[in-house]
Amino acid sequence: MPSAQLSVYGQGARDSLFWNKATETMPRARLDALHLHRLRALVQYAWDYSPFYRSKFDQAGLKPGDIRTLADYKTRMPLIDKSEFIALQAEQPPYGPTLALPLEFVAHHSETSGTTGVPLGIPFSTYDTVRYGESWVYGMWALGIRPGDSFYFAFGWGNFAGFWSAYWAARRLGCRVISGGGLDTRGHIQTIQRLRPTVLISTPTFALRMAAVAAEMGVDLAQSSIRYTYHAGEPGPTALPAMREQLERAWGAKAGELLGIAEIDAMAPGCPNGDGVHVNEMNVFAWSIDPKTGQEVADGEIGENIVTSYVNSAQPLLNYRTHDLVRRRAACSCGRTWTKFEGAVLGRTDFMVTVRGTNVYQTAVENLLAQVPGISMHYELVLTREGDNDVMTVRFEPDKAIAAERELWNKAAAEAAERIHRALHVRLEIKPVAPESLPRYELKTKRIIDQRPKEFRRALDR
Amino acid sequence: MTAMSNEDRVARIREARRLIVAAMQGCDSPQIETMLRSADMELHWALWNLGEAVSLRPELDYG
Repeated sequence: MPSAQLSVYGQGARDSLFWNKATETMPRARLDALHLHRLRALVQYAWDYSPFYRSKFDQAGLKPGDIRTLADYKTRMPLIDKSEFIALQAEQPPYGPTLALPLEFVAHHSETSGTTGVPLGIPFSTYDTVRYGESWVYGMWALGIRPGDSFYFAFGWGNFAGFWSAYWAARRLGCRVISGGGLDTRGHIQTIQRLRPTVLISTPTFALRMAAVAAEMGVDLAQSSIRYTYHAGEPGPTALPAMREQLERAWGAKAGELLGIAEIDAMAPGCPNGDGVHVNEMNVFAWSIDPKTGQEVADGEIGENIVTSYVNSAQPLLNYRTHDLVRRRAACSCGRTWTKFEGAVLGRTDFMVTVRGTNVYQTAVENLLAQVPGISMHYELVLTREGDNDVMTVRFEPDKAIAAERELWNKAAAEAAERIHRALHVRLEIKPVAPESLPRYELKTKRIIDQRPKEFRRALDR
Repeated sequence: MTAMSNEDRVARIREARRLIVAAMQGCDSPQIETMLRSADMELHWALWNLGEAVSLRPELDYG
């Protein structure tokens, strides 16, 4: 007879429907009081330790003591954009003045995916990685994932923060980790059959891609060991109900999702109701603005998500513009008081589409096209849906200099395709069309021609 | 066993942090100091997630 029962959790914790009920259901007034305390501490920390923020505060004539209310913070703390960080890191690699801890504290270098052009370097302290991983766990626990489950990571790891943070989450939750790093799609499927994991972590489109390849192999993944699929990185089962239906049918599993932003946090775990995500208000403070006016928008209205992270002590992010358009809701029938983003991210202030698992931003493609000799300013980006993937085709008119020489049209197309592939790691079809054949517009040019079925577009892109 | 109130739990965690920080004083083993710092980090995080108004990082409390 063993002298002690071995168990990861006691019965009370094991029976909880919440990862931390006390904070997930904390009354709004108490949450706001905590936010104020934590924001003031963070502003002081940024002032003390971050050359970047000290300079920002000086430019704005702001001292830490000036922040006395949440309204002070929203109106006086300058908005920060990723482009500022990228420029500073390029000047003084790897982190420049954005680093707020001695380098000996930096335990993990990570990066954004680079799909908006250049990847942002993200330094994490050990504590930051623990807290980032924790953010995933709320949604996983709510979905039903427990110690004893085993995670299959269907990706090469690289430096992308999203992938690594999922690993930190599995460790935090106490689940078994099975890495699929280095395998191709067939290898992933064979490993799942061999090792029988119960949770799949991948982008949603790759999960569908795996199901399609499995079908070619004569394998029905709906009969596999996988009981949960959990996703991030692109619009998934919460943002796109059609995606949920496809994922759950293909895998015979419950599909979950969170909203994460690589340089910030896995900031909003999925709601168990499946219709949105809840902002993890222990890790971040989030509010929304009208991106045109900069004014705060009320709950229920669509606005750009502005985030402050309490848990990125190596590279603090205060009033950070995400360019994600969200609709905030104050209450939810699931019991959480944490702000809900209905439908997760509804759109982008700069349009984004996911092509073969890669987030492709309209602005990034347009910036690259503008650099290619022979491509005029008359072009459009056509979105279609083929199988389980979004497809973007660029149709452009050649500029006048090469209009009479057809062979140069294809040369320009090939160069554009190569530049886009090099910069964004995705291959787009680039098609020249006859001069003067694309529509002309009196006001704003319509660049995006979205021919995807409505159910595969985010709400604001429909 | 009766459930402990959050207030009692917070008080015990604060006391545990005090003992750990005391054990760190003059520590001449990087291994042991690493372990103590790791334990204190988790306790700091526990207080944070019990809704306590604590500092942003545990080291800021070491003086």
